Amino acid sequence: MKSKLFVLVFAGLSMLGGRAYAHHSFASTYLEDQKMTIEADVLQFLYRNPHSFLQLQTKDAKGNAITWAVEWGAGAQLGSKGVQRDTLRPGDHVIVIGSPGRNPEDHRLRMIDIKRPSDGWSWKGTFD
Amino acid sequence: MSLNKISSCLAALLCVSFPALAEIDLSGSWAAINHEDSLERGGGPNPVDWAGLPFNDAGRAKALSFSQSIISMPERICWFQTQWHIAAGPFSLRMWAVPDPITGKVQAWVVGAWETRAPMTIYMDGRPHPGKNAPHDQTGFTTGVWNGNELIATTTHIKTGYIRRNGAPSSDQATITTHFLRHGDLLTVALFMDDPVYLTEPYILTRSYNLSTNPVAIGGPPCIVGDEGVESGRVPHYLPGKNPFVDEMTKLYGIPEEASLGGAETMYPEFREKIKDKFKLPAKCAKNCANAGGN
Repeated sequence: MKSKLFVLVFAGLSMLGGRAYAHHSFASTYLEDQKMTIEADVLQFLYRNPHSFLQLQTKDAKGNAITWAVEWGAGAQLGSKGVQRDTLRPGDHVIVIGSPGRNPEDHRLRMIDIKRPSDGWSWKGTFD
Repeated sequence: MSLNKISSCLAALLCVSFPALAEIDLSGSWAAINHEDSLERGGGPNPVDWAGLPFNDAGRAKALSFSQSIISMPERICWFQTQWHIAAGPFSLRMWAVPDPITGKVQAWVVGAWETRAPMTIYMDGRPHPGKNAPHDQTGFTTGVWNGNELIATTTHIKTGYIRRNGAPSSDQATITTHFLRHGDLLTVALFMDDPVYLTEPYILTRSYNLSTNPVAIGGPPCIVGDEGVESGRVPHYLPGKNPFVDEMTKLYGIPEEASLGGAETMYPEFREKIKDKFKLPAKCAKNCANAGGN
């Protein structure tokens, strides 16, 4: 019964969210069992399909700028959760929790949680 | 009326009553059921999980050089997958027929595009495939024939691509044979990959779809190149012997490397007997365990 239910739920979710899947493998791209937190300023919000990307800028210990690419849900998927293309603007200061990329030099995260302390706006969730 | 005349009349009636070939209508929106190969159809497979792929040494070597970051190069972000992505990707299908404007016969079937795959146009008018030196692209060139009520499409002239979304490669010499079988509101698509460069045997996957009244979107917004973490000019890769994830499947599931590195024998049930003494069941399943108690 459990396995039948799993198949049904998975099939249903797949039909609903089919277009939101990426062309790449999440498991191969990210260390999905790990989390990392960065505090940074927004450089750009690329609101698109199949996945959006949020570019953030931080500084390392020597003061050098580091750009992070944070992968997020498809535009349509985020839109249904209230995240619009102008929800985040360049210069916004945010705190992001995500799964780090397998290649550290990419400075890449898969979004898990984001907060904007200035107005308390936040988003938390998963996406495919 | 003589027996010959009766036979001739019956033959003529049969020709009028039934199409020469048992074509069936494949048009419509087909919603992916995605109950098969859930990692393939969902979030994607683990790195260096190539069990069940009939790799030769060249295929395995190329796969081991693959870094997932390579498809985030600005030059590759908008690079289409080959038609094999019907098997390796998760999306639903939308199909329609293109009639000949004069005769009304089906000139081609089209499997609509996704954001990462060009449309597959299956020419049904008997035209030949281009010569072997003709240009290749991700779309390829596809012709089809009916075998009873089964549409068989043959795709050639593709560029190099992937047969699994963790870097298992296909070459530009590969041929994809796609079988479309309709059973009422259920569509089964069986795909065969023959690749003389990277595979020793055909690799076969099936996918199933339900006929849907919700239109499956085709195409999608234009691809937008953005920063995905890889700067222009850098080509992420692993040199021979340097892939850091070669033991990922051993760490996660206790599967020996000789299984996760693929090869034709890993496709067959007898292979389990060969590795049974090397397989160590992990104390706890850590990832993608479904009903086994993990996440």
